[in-house]
Amino acid sequence: MSAIDDLLRARGRFAPDASDLPTPGTQAVIVAAGLLYGAVMGSYGLRAPQVLYSALKVPLLLGVSALVCLPNLLAVNTVLGLRDDFRAVLRALVLSQGTVCLSLAALAPITAVAYLSLADYNNAVVFNGGMFLLAALAGQISLGRLYRPLIAANPRHRLGRNAWLALYVFVAIQMAWVLRPFVGNPELPSRFFREGAWGNAYVEVAALVWRALGGR
Amino acid sequence: MRQILARIDTLLRGGFTEPEQLSLGRVSVGASDLAIAAAPLGLVYGLFMGLYAVMRGGPGAGLQLVATSLKVPLLFLLTLVVTLPSLYVLSALARSRLSFLHTLRLLLAAVTVNCALLASFGPVTGFFTLSTESYPFMILLNVAFFACSGIVGLSFLRKALDAVFAPETGTPASQTAASQVFRAWILIYAIVGAQMGWILRPFIGAPNAPFQWFRARDSNFFVAVWESLLRLF
Repeated sequence: MSAIDDLLRARGRFAPDASDLPTPGTQAVIVAAGLLYGAVMGSYGLRAPQVLYSALKVPLLLGVSALVCLPNLLAVNTVLGLRDDFRAVLRALVLSQGTVCLSLAALAPITAVAYLSLADYNNAVVFNGGMFLLAALAGQISLGRLYRPLIAANPRHRLGRNAWLALYVFVAIQMAWVLRPFVGNPELPSRFFREGAWGNAYVEVAALVWRALGGR
Repeated sequence: MRQILARIDTLLRGGFTEPEQLSLGRVSVGASDLAIAAAPLGLVYGLFMGLYAVMRGGPGAGLQLVATSLKVPLLFLLTLVVTLPSLYVLSALARSRLSFLHTLRLLLAAVTVNCALLASFGPVTGFFTLSTESYPFMILLNVAFFACSGIVGLSFLRKALDAVFAPETGTPASQTAASQVFRAWILIYAIVGAQMGWILRPFIGAPNAPFQWFRARDSNFFVAVWESLLRLF
């Protein structure tokens, strides 16, 4: 618990100027936090398979998105001349991902209570979107704290961080689209992937916007 | 392989383009070493790019993968061949200390940085390829990644040219000869690179279209990107 507290407060072993990474025990707690929020998110239709699928999907969403973007992070940091700080950069990203998971877990009870009054599936999806946004903002606070000394030492870190964020968000949105459903429409059978799930979030959104603007 | 990776790492860290060496008109790495480093990087991205055809299946899908993985390094090689003389002439006119050989090395270094960045986008391209049916989206995504990595490669070149020209004037080089050379040349490079990509198409391979090594001469890159944007909706 003290490790979690240190991580959230960015102090002690997880202070910006320290170099410790989460121990396997702390990593397990972080993954469990992601699993917990996923399980709560998937409980909308009160179906055990969907709870299990959604529980697995949240850590998958965060972890695989980060892995896909990792080669670019390395290349961008090297080109920017920040390679010597790469361990600190990785640490900042790992810890901020930890903050996102822990924040999601903290929001899980709110989601559970909200489900009691959310009769419409679409509203439940939007609500969870809001919860993810809040957790992402918490992750940003953590990332900002951990990046502060890096940026102070070399302002190029700001560009490196922004490049990472842009690519990570771009990939994570599509990853979420691929891994849907997270909430699970009670009128549809529980599945890990939605039937015909493979598609493109951006193309769908672009088409929606286009239609909203009167295009055919 | 390890040696190639170490060379790429040194290049990305700026180890071959130190300002002191550049100010003497020297790039301290061989052209063949750079070419050997750049080619596999282009090939790796080409494999990710060509995956779209493999995922869609059909006759010629495997050939499209081979063609794309060869065409990406070829695109950079041909663009370099076409634009190197103009870079050399422009930098010579601006009285840089770079000889033709060192201009070639510098441009190859920038192309290698470009390819390294492009290869680092490979897993992202692979992920979208696995999850996306939309052909126009894949075209635009690849154009965006080529553009991003191109910008980084050109920034590398610009920084190097700043160092090459710095001792000539004693003033901030970015406002003088280096900048003029670069601005004039970047336009040539961008247009040639884009059009070379158009000439070498298809890179992704349109779904339901038979495999072709090259398509017939038609339209141009900029019109095609605009049409892809419209087809996205």
